[in-house]
Amino acid sequence: MNGVLRFRGWMPLALLTALILGLGAFATVRQDAFLTEYNIQNLLLTTLPLALVAIGQTNALLVGGFDVSVAALMTLCVVTASYTMQEGDTWPMLLVGALALLGLGLATGVFNATLIHVLRLPSIIATLGTLSILAGASLLLRDHPEGFISSDLIEVLTTSVGFLPVAFVGVVVLAVLADVWLYRTRTGLALRSVGLDETSSRRLGMGTGRTIFLAFVVCSVMASIAGFYSAAQVQIGSPIIGNYALESIAAAVLGGASLAGGRGSFVGALLAALFLALIGNVLPLFQQPTEYAQMTIGGLILLALVLYQSPELLSRLRSSWGGVGRLGTRRGDAPAG
Amino acid sequence: MSTPGPDGPIVLSLRGVSKAFGAVQALRDVSFDCRAGEIHALVGENGSGKSTLLGIASGFLAPDEGILEIGGRRRRRGSPAEARRSGLGIAYQTYSHVLDLSVAENLYLALPRNLRPAFGRMQSWAATKLDAFGLDVSPAVVVGTLSLAQRQLLEVVKALLIEPRVLLLDEPTTALGPDEVAQLHALVLERSRAGVGVVYVSHRLPEVLGIADRITVLRDGVGQGTYGAAGMSEDSLVALMIGRPLTLAFPERDADDRPAEILLHVAGLSGDRFGPIDLAVAKGEILGIAGAEGNGQTQLLRALAGVEPKTGTASCNGHRLDTRSPLAALRAGVVLLSGDRARESLFPVLSVRANTTIQVLGRFGRLGLLSRRHERRTVDDLARRLRIRMASREQPVQSLSGGNQQKVSLTRPFLRGDVRVILAEEPTQGVDVGARFDIYEALRAKASEGVAVVVKSSDPIELAGLCDRVVVMSRGRIVDEIQGGDLGERRIVEAIVGSGVARARA
Repeated sequence: MNGVLRFRGWMPLALLTALILGLGAFATVRQDAFLTEYNIQNLLLTTLPLALVAIGQTNALLVGGFDVSVAALMTLCVVTASYTMQEGDTWPMLLVGALALLGLGLATGVFNATLIHVLRLPSIIATLGTLSILAGASLLLRDHPEGFISSDLIEVLTTSVGFLPVAFVGVVVLAVLADVWLYRTRTGLALRSVGLDETSSRRLGMGTGRTIFLAFVVCSVMASIAGFYSAAQVQIGSPIIGNYALESIAAAVLGGASLAGGRGSFVGALLAALFLALIGNVLPLFQQPTEYAQMTIGGLILLALVLYQSPELLSRLRSSWGGVGRLGTRRGDAPAG
Repeated sequence: MSTPGPDGPIVLSLRGVSKAFGAVQALRDVSFDCRAGEIHALVGENGSGKSTLLGIASGFLAPDEGILEIGGRRRRRGSPAEARRSGLGIAYQTYSHVLDLSVAENLYLALPRNLRPAFGRMQSWAATKLDAFGLDVSPAVVVGTLSLAQRQLLEVVKALLIEPRVLLLDEPTTALGPDEVAQLHALVLERSRAGVGVVYVSHRLPEVLGIADRITVLRDGVGQGTYGAAGMSEDSLVALMIGRPLTLAFPERDADDRPAEILLHVAGLSGDRFGPIDLAVAKGEILGIAGAEGNGQTQLLRALAGVEPKTGTASCNGHRLDTRSPLAALRAGVVLLSGDRARESLFPVLSVRANTTIQVLGRFGRLGLLSRRHERRTVDDLARRLRIRMASREQPVQSLSGGNQQKVSLTRPFLRGDVRVILAEEPTQGVDVGARFDIYEALRAKASEGVAVVVKSSDPIELAGLCDRVVVMSRGRIVDEIQGGDLGERRIVEAIVGSGVARARA
């Protein structure tokens, strides 16, 4: 019961649902072009890559880390797809190409996890290095957008029933199952425990190293799957795709993930991804420059951090009043007396 | 079925164990065993190798040499998980709780897979277990909101949950008041009668003598022998621990009866879990604050240091004390020696030198650059004066023993010329016997210089020996004041217990 039902866990989900419905309702009333089958399908398809990578990123955040290499990995996946899954390729060739992309995700994940777990590098530094390597590799393969990606593949990936892409339903089911796993099973509890307090978890006999390792591997594999949907969107081997590193962390945090680890929600990450995509979808309808979307996202991350992590922040603010920032944030020294 | 008592089979055995960390030989050819049904205490100063020995027994550390057997089976290099599977339960001195998870979740995670209940039944299962162990906390409560005493008892419960054949307790009573110590000891005795071998590590020698069947003493990583508890006294144990008889436990009080000049004046002070408090501390006086754990003593001290919010007034030397922040309090000459040294007083990874001089670096500056020579000389002088035992002044503070860490945090009031009030929270918690006297002496020396010292301690012997006057707190208020000829351990304990009785009647 507890965990899922804690107020703090539900707040991001409720807030995001309200924001999505609110913004959606506003756009529906003001712009006829919004609530059309074509636009909603387009919105959901735009959501997919971000949702997938945000779900992956949530794993990294849950164990108290970051993975900033996801965007570079997605780009490399798109570029690779423009070689291995070209227009006119047959299905067996496409299957091999798809496995190549997943293999790329797995290899990157193992590489990151090794840097972080075995060599003990801080995750943000380790994945920053990986980012640079992958970005360089992408530019080596395609220094400008070139090479059409198989339209057969894109058609399968974006199969929709009316306005609803089948893949989107799949991601919703995945996120719900992942949340049930996270909050209703022993291994889910163990993952949160490792993120909250690694030393205690190790003392309790948990395989903390294995957990952290797996979290980063899953994050990269999810990013490579997100790469498929990025490829379906850009349809060409482009070495420049969206700012998914920041946006995936933004979505995960808006969805309730704590930067300190141990807290987060996969459904929350999905809802946040939908909300961020919705902002990008609605602004052009109102003839507003999409640059506003980027600024809005930045503002929202800060807002989310303040709202969700307010207990820690408040006590930090209170004690930093006099210039000493770290005192007073010590938790739990209050006896029950 | 094993026979309980000293003749039971050996459930934990370490033979000829040695372990070095770099150049430091932490253990040298130490042998230790624990029989089913006995309570075998392990005593020694900090840095004597107790923690290393426990680390090896629990599978956290691999010995360089020697043999470890749990339940008669030989272990070469284990993991905590493996040691747990072979029937070893351990309660860590610094706990193994995940503070943001609930009590039930922590208990659940403490179990190996085969003993875990179904995930959905966790709450009711935890409630049953807590009830069985007599721990009065709700399973749904987040561990971070429990008092330190409750957390410590929970740590022991976690170790007991796996139904161990060997139970290692590392300083299990540091946060406990007398009632809780009695509760814990009842639990431990009951387990040992049921045939569990208990290894009990503690600094509190009266406790050790009260509960142990056998006692093994370590000094500088070398075993000093194993003795029947019945034939030992505190004096004889201390002599073995420090290698010399302990002649004087507390420094002399200042003899002169100069007129009391009030330095710290507190009126109607209230805050989280305490108040209203009226208090006056004179120049040169050491005031003790006693009370059962969790009655606002800590909060009072921290409020005075500007770490916790409060209302009411406090003045120092006639000036109203600005305690809106630790920095303001410090500027007014109020220094807090936190009970949580590693996190609040010290920079654990920095050297002894850096930790000593960090507040007064300006003094060592010349044209904006530090004069290392000047700084080194100052640090060396203070290290000698406070008898800090260290390999070098560049040694990270985290590698020092608890007593030496506390001495490093004590260097700061010595360096600052403007200190008027020292607030010491459990100044000798986790500090070995030898170093305790040095700390008492340092506090007394500051008092003699005209500083007002306030000591919050859960050790009545310490309060009786060190302080000039002791106030007893209960439910956030001062309920008793003891001084002069009355001041003694027994009187303090009676006051604490008495206030508990009054509370029960109310």
